[in-house]
Amino acid sequence: MLLSVRDLTVRFRTHDGTVHAVNGVSFDLEEGETMGLVGESGCGKSVTNLAMMQLLPKPAGHIERGEVTFDGVDLTKLSEASMRDLRGSDIAMIFQDPMTSLNPVLTIQEQMVETIRAHRDITAADARARSIELLGMVGIAEPEMRVRDFPHQFSGGMRQRVMIAMALALEPKLLIADEPTTALDVTIQAQVLELLKQLTTERGTAVILITHDLGVVAGMSTRVNVMYAGFVVEAATTPDLFATPRHPYTVGLLHSIPRLDHVGDEPLIPIEGVPPDLRVPPVGCQFAPRCAWRVARCWTEIPSLDPYEPLAPGAAVRTTGPRATHRIACWNPPTADEATAGAPLREGVVPAPPPDRETPTAGRKGTR
Amino acid sequence: MIDSTLGPGTMMSPVGDERPLVEVSGLKMYFPITQGIIFQSHIGDVRAVDDVSLELRRGETLGLVGESGCGKSTLGRAVLRLYRPTAGTVVFDGQDITTLEGAGLRSVRRRMQMIFQDPYASLNPRMTAGGIIGEPLEIHGIGTGRERRAKVRDLLATVGLSADADNRYPHEFSGGQRQRIGVARALAVNPDLIIADEPISALDVSIQAQIINLLERLQGEFHLTYLFIAHDLSVVRHISDRIAVMYLGKIVELASSKGLNREPLHPYSVALLSAIPIPDPVVEGRRRRIILRGDVPSPAAPPPGCRFHTRCWLRDRLGNPARCSEEDPPLRELAVGHAVACHYAEEVDGSGEQLQATGRGVSSPPASTFAPSAAAAPGARSTLPRVGDTEPTTPLIRNEPLPEVNLIPDSSMLLGMPAVPDERPVYPPRSDGA
Repeated sequence: MLLSVRDLTVRFRTHDGTVHAVNGVSFDLEEGETMGLVGESGCGKSVTNLAMMQLLPKPAGHIERGEVTFDGVDLTKLSEASMRDLRGSDIAMIFQDPMTSLNPVLTIQEQMVETIRAHRDITAADARARSIELLGMVGIAEPEMRVRDFPHQFSGGMRQRVMIAMALALEPKLLIADEPTTALDVTIQAQVLELLKQLTTERGTAVILITHDLGVVAGMSTRVNVMYAGFVVEAATTPDLFATPRHPYTVGLLHSIPRLDHVGDEPLIPIEGVPPDLRVPPVGCQFAPRCAWRVARCWTEIPSLDPYEPLAPGAAVRTTGPRATHRIACWNPPTADEATAGAPLREGVVPAPPPDRETPTAGRKGTR
Repeated sequence: MIDSTLGPGTMMSPVGDERPLVEVSGLKMYFPITQGIIFQSHIGDVRAVDDVSLELRRGETLGLVGESGCGKSTLGRAVLRLYRPTAGTVVFDGQDITTLEGAGLRSVRRRMQMIFQDPYASLNPRMTAGGIIGEPLEIHGIGTGRERRAKVRDLLATVGLSADADNRYPHEFSGGQRQRIGVARALAVNPDLIIADEPISALDVSIQAQIINLLERLQGEFHLTYLFIAHDLSVVRHISDRIAVMYLGKIVELASSKGLNREPLHPYSVALLSAIPIPDPVVEGRRRRIILRGDVPSPAAPPPGCRFHTRCWLRDRLGNPARCSEEDPPLRELAVGHAVACHYAEEVDGSGEQLQATGRGVSSPPASTFAPSAAAAPGARSTLPRVGDTEPTTPLIRNEPLPEVNLIPDSSMLLGMPAVPDERPVYPPRSDGA
């Protein structure tokens, strides 16, 4: 097991109260696996990874509890110095906006040489040669010339290639790509994803791909965790998730995006309402206020991430690999027909009304 | 195949063959590049929109797609006369508005409204929602104060906001709710035309569908004509009757939504379609992307001839014909209502790339059991082929046998990347432990 995250819980203390950003997230990653982490803005997918890397903005953000074991070491207990050694060499990150993650006043060469020499005992000349080789590898023409350019002399797609080159410079075991193509045009996105897939497959690098785009996940990852309001609500292999989505939120997401390969004019089925206010401590399922399948229990009890189908006798839950167990956190999951239809079909199903007390959605700022 | 959707029936506007609402011809919008501070000399132009002609029929939705910097937003703004075009004409409901100014322009503007991309930047944070929605009524002097307030309450209900929203400020609303305020403001003066410039791209996935459905419902209720500008072809395809694909200031393909989706004829449209990820791993696993080389050239110095020739996969295939870099291809109609600006568009039709991009080239059992719409309305399943259907495909124009599906053999070739050397130097880890 390369990476094992257990019960990771992250809170932010703000003037408006404590933000419950990540609520007990657990997942595993084997070497060479590509796992997608999908969700909308504010669902905690980026915060999960910042917390793993000990990069939470201090002092507001802190890990309340949980363990992050990477290669047998609990990262939450590492000193800042050892953590700094790990970042860049064993775990590398790529962010959404390459312009803000590159230093605008240093040439690409200076930045790459600095990164390489911070972790490896080699001469500046060797590090420079390696930088040029890496730039060539990510498809930048005339790398000997371009390595002396500044970030602003590159286009958005090229900057992201530079970021990939820097991330892979030290052959990390794990690459965390946080919305790597969201700022790029679709044809450039295709270039960058192709490159990322090719390079990580060649090297056997494990990847955590954070994105809001289910299409990107479908093409890139082998397993997917769907997050909502700081919880993992569904975890499955990519084929399972898309063929048989089981959580009402995943079902809703798949029904609310128009698909290019559907020729008819089918109406979209939106998820009504808005995501919850994370300052309110969760008391039930966070998706309940927007869910068509909710039952009374959803308002009061937080469902845990459990196998959708009962396990065979003696079998254990598989958290990784191509045969990972399909797990959901839901009290009243849609049936297969309902998942396909995008709405409850059972007779007399009425979404349970909120219980007679302050509900998780009440107390929103701005509700008068 | 001759797509039935390309026939004249569906290409007509719902109200028959009356005059289009908007006619744009030969529109050019250049932005000057100047040098010097006091005595500015004109050293060039950014050709944001270069010789574009199109028309918007009453009651239709025309989608305008392209990548950032292709001029789609500029075109939308020029149609609204937020810019004064460099050349060409914009005719709105029979009236030439290209050079209109002052009161004349204001009275036309009452009939055309805009919805903006960013619901955070496009609403004045110091005005209440009611004030924002009522402002167009005030500007155009419509109704008394009491009537305006009643109208605002109606509009709030129309876009799905509660009536008490009119006293609240933009920061009290979520992104989706703010975009509803933007829609209500556009509707306030009962316009004929709404230009929606990336109206959903700033919103979360689960909220996008709410706004798309709202726009579709309002179009029916208020007989609106939409110019829908977006970079996401799957969204544009969903909402539009016809689609214009732009590249570097020019329209490269103009077709019905279904025509473009099933038989894209411009190499750029094919590449664009193939680049869009489809949320289905089975489909994704079978598709082959066309990876375009490099980036979009600068609109200040567009390439000569066809503007796409520097990145064109078809030009490579045809052995780099000189015509591509010398002669600017005109937009020519290859089928009824399907126009394309490519000298060799006939070569695209029926090609492996076209089949791959549209998903028709893949032949294996249906993708997944998750077919949202098909089961949502069992009886109403589209008879049109979708991915997974195996159906013999005939080229639109030629009668030759289908060429062999020639897939991209090696993506690294297209990226212009040298093969990764097998032996990489192995560096020793730092010994000082720093």
